[in-house]
Amino acid sequence: MTTIAAEKPGKGNAVRGTVADLLNLLSDFWFGMLLLAIWGVMTIIGVIVDQQKDPTVYFTSYPAPLARLVLRLHLDNIYHSPAYVGMIGLIVSTMTFATFRSVIPRRMPALRPVKIDVMPLHAFVSIPGDEPSVRERIAAYFASHGWTIRKREFGGDEWTFVDKHNWARRGVLVAHVGFIVIAIGTTMYWARGYSGTTAIISGDSATIPQNGTTIKLNSFGYRIDPIRTKAGTTYQPIDYVSQVTVTPKDGKPYDAVIRVNHPLDVNGTLYYQSTYGFAIAFTLTKDGKPLPVSPAQPLREGEAFQVDGTHAIQYAQFIGTIDRKTGGAGTDPRPNDPGVVINAFEGDQLLGRSMIPLGSSLDLGDGYRLAANRYVLYSGFQYRHDPGIPIVGIGAFVLVAGLCISFYFLPARLYVRTAAEPDGTVRVGIAATTVKGYDIYEERFAELVNALRRTPAPA
Amino acid sequence: MLDPTRQLIDQILLEIAIASFAAGTLVLLGYLLTRTLAFKRLGSVLAVLGGVTAFAELGTRWWMTGIWPLTNLYGSLSLFAAMGVLIFCVFAFKYDLWFAGSGVLAIAAIALAYGTDWNEGYMPAVPALQSYWIKIHVPLVISAYATFMVAFAIAILYIIKDTIERNYGSRTVRARAAGLGVDVSLAQPAASAFVTTEFGIKRVDTPNLEAAAARGDSLALWLMGLPSLSKLDILTYRIVAVGLPLLSIGIITGAMWAKEAWGAYWQWDPKETAALASWIVYALYMHLHTRNGWRGIRCAWINVAGFASIVFCYLGVNIWISGLHSYKV
Repeated sequence: MTTIAAEKPGKGNAVRGTVADLLNLLSDFWFGMLLLAIWGVMTIIGVIVDQQKDPTVYFTSYPAPLARLVLRLHLDNIYHSPAYVGMIGLIVSTMTFATFRSVIPRRMPALRPVKIDVMPLHAFVSIPGDEPSVRERIAAYFASHGWTIRKREFGGDEWTFVDKHNWARRGVLVAHVGFIVIAIGTTMYWARGYSGTTAIISGDSATIPQNGTTIKLNSFGYRIDPIRTKAGTTYQPIDYVSQVTVTPKDGKPYDAVIRVNHPLDVNGTLYYQSTYGFAIAFTLTKDGKPLPVSPAQPLREGEAFQVDGTHAIQYAQFIGTIDRKTGGAGTDPRPNDPGVVINAFEGDQLLGRSMIPLGSSLDLGDGYRLAANRYVLYSGFQYRHDPGIPIVGIGAFVLVAGLCISFYFLPARLYVRTAAEPDGTVRVGIAATTVKGYDIYEERFAELVNALRRTPAPA
Repeated sequence: MLDPTRQLIDQILLEIAIASFAAGTLVLLGYLLTRTLAFKRLGSVLAVLGGVTAFAELGTRWWMTGIWPLTNLYGSLSLFAAMGVLIFCVFAFKYDLWFAGSGVLAIAAIALAYGTDWNEGYMPAVPALQSYWIKIHVPLVISAYATFMVAFAIAILYIIKDTIERNYGSRTVRARAAGLGVDVSLAQPAASAFVTTEFGIKRVDTPNLEAAAARGDSLALWLMGLPSLSKLDILTYRIVAVGLPLLSIGIITGAMWAKEAWGAYWQWDPKETAALASWIVYALYMHLHTRNGWRGIRCAWINVAGFASIVFCYLGVNIWISGLHSYKV
């Protein structure tokens, strides 16, 4: 009597079982599709919900319960949320496991005999001749049309397996690998890259903290043209150009030009023309005497200076051309008749807002006057060092190659079996399978069978 | 000041294109309903004429202004209409898809006519658009959108035929149930019929329509004149198989351009992410189409959802949502 020893449930078996379950889940096609669908929904949410705005914006734009939900679920920064990043990580994982554990085995089926007459695509052709010569003729026919022939014997019966575009079965693998390579490339930026912005007033310089490169803005030029449209005259930006002197860390200075769509590459860090603006030199006086609190440097839009412990003046907006009829901002952004809008604060409380034509001053009361003296152009740059870009580029190419292979090549397999008939003919059974189902191959299979039927008989 | 002769040529070509699309819509609708070959021939001529004049009009606009015409919504909608018809004609000549032409030409006519609303005049490109990438990225994504539009038209036909087939099936079930005195809720849906042909075992995908057509039902007879459901499904798949790589390359070239213009190849701009969402929908479609149980009506509906996402990405984001891609005047 054979005694079967009961297997003791141990920790090791439980762990192995859990790991196996996890791998099965990660390899499961439907789990992957669910993740893909959730990723799509999260992506759409990020399009609809304004991203990275101040919380007050959401309470202004949406009903309060919705605004609270948006903030609580971090939908205001969904693309950088742990959930979104984790989702992409999960998709990459399932893609990897599914590709190797289920996609490849399904797409590279073993050579096995089939029941020809129950296959959705099958046919029987009678060809005169003896069995060996008919088999050879069929093999020669398929080989001459670019098919790969392999012969196997199963239970005394010889089967011929005929494949086309077998290599294209790996197209899905290639596409998935491309996606994974893209993910690696983007991760490299997070790990080793950096980016930032800097705004430099004409004549000034700035040093990039991450790499020590110094950029001096020699001059900034722009061109804005008035264009007549059906809606009236509009002012179209045409060009922005920064003339700079670049001094790399441990390098010699050299002159360069930075313009939109023509970034400057300094030792692998790219510098882009991003914005520009008008910095204003302000002077605060009391009873005609300049005060030391006056800003030493021209201010950019949004910047402020303290008048005393509680009061501050903010440079809110540059007006290119004052509409002298209304006293407000005109439509022409060019500094033909410039002015500046300033905000006065007491603590966080906005006391008032006013416009000062450039070159004149505003009476603030109690003998105080604020003069907006002149403007100085400043240029805003973005810089970025991304070591992952070449990897992302390779991944993109591989992904597209994989898509093209998967979509435009149809791997097909024919199962061919011959049987000698009493009337001196050979009955050839052919069945076909493809990786994209049967319907898609129906017409081509019919053409193939008809072509075989027309194969001339031996002399 | 624009040359008045060129302006006149531009206007004439635009009007011919819209008129051809509109007339072609009606003629091919006639072909869809009556299967008269004369309608098909005339409709194909109008489609080709409309497509050629739409492209010619774009070229004339470029010649007239010296400005690449795809810098605004008017230009891109013009290209969308032209490419949609071109891609449709390619598939129609190869696979005899003229029965779907009325839908495609109708969308093209509407797109072109709507685009004229966005014609603010001729403005030079803003600095961010002054790049050779505009001649690569924009045509690619517009071509992708146009391809998905054609796939959508075929998917709609699939849904119509499948819905009516199911409707005929449930009528059959109810009739049988009434005859047997059986509660309909207990009745089983009609099983799919299989036929054996000389090339294998084939599922008859519209057995109820076939039976109704055999009885002389006019709606069934008309629907049986359309390609089979499996063929419509395969056609949709083949068209999406063109659109998805186009969209992929379009997104990639957009990223390459963004790197040059804005400092980063991906900034989660609404347009970029909406395009990514559309890509995900069509990737889902292609994955699910590998499963027998999901081919057919389910994939057809995913196609419809995919085109809805394309419309949102193309128009909704440009018009309703501000971002780096909002160059609306």
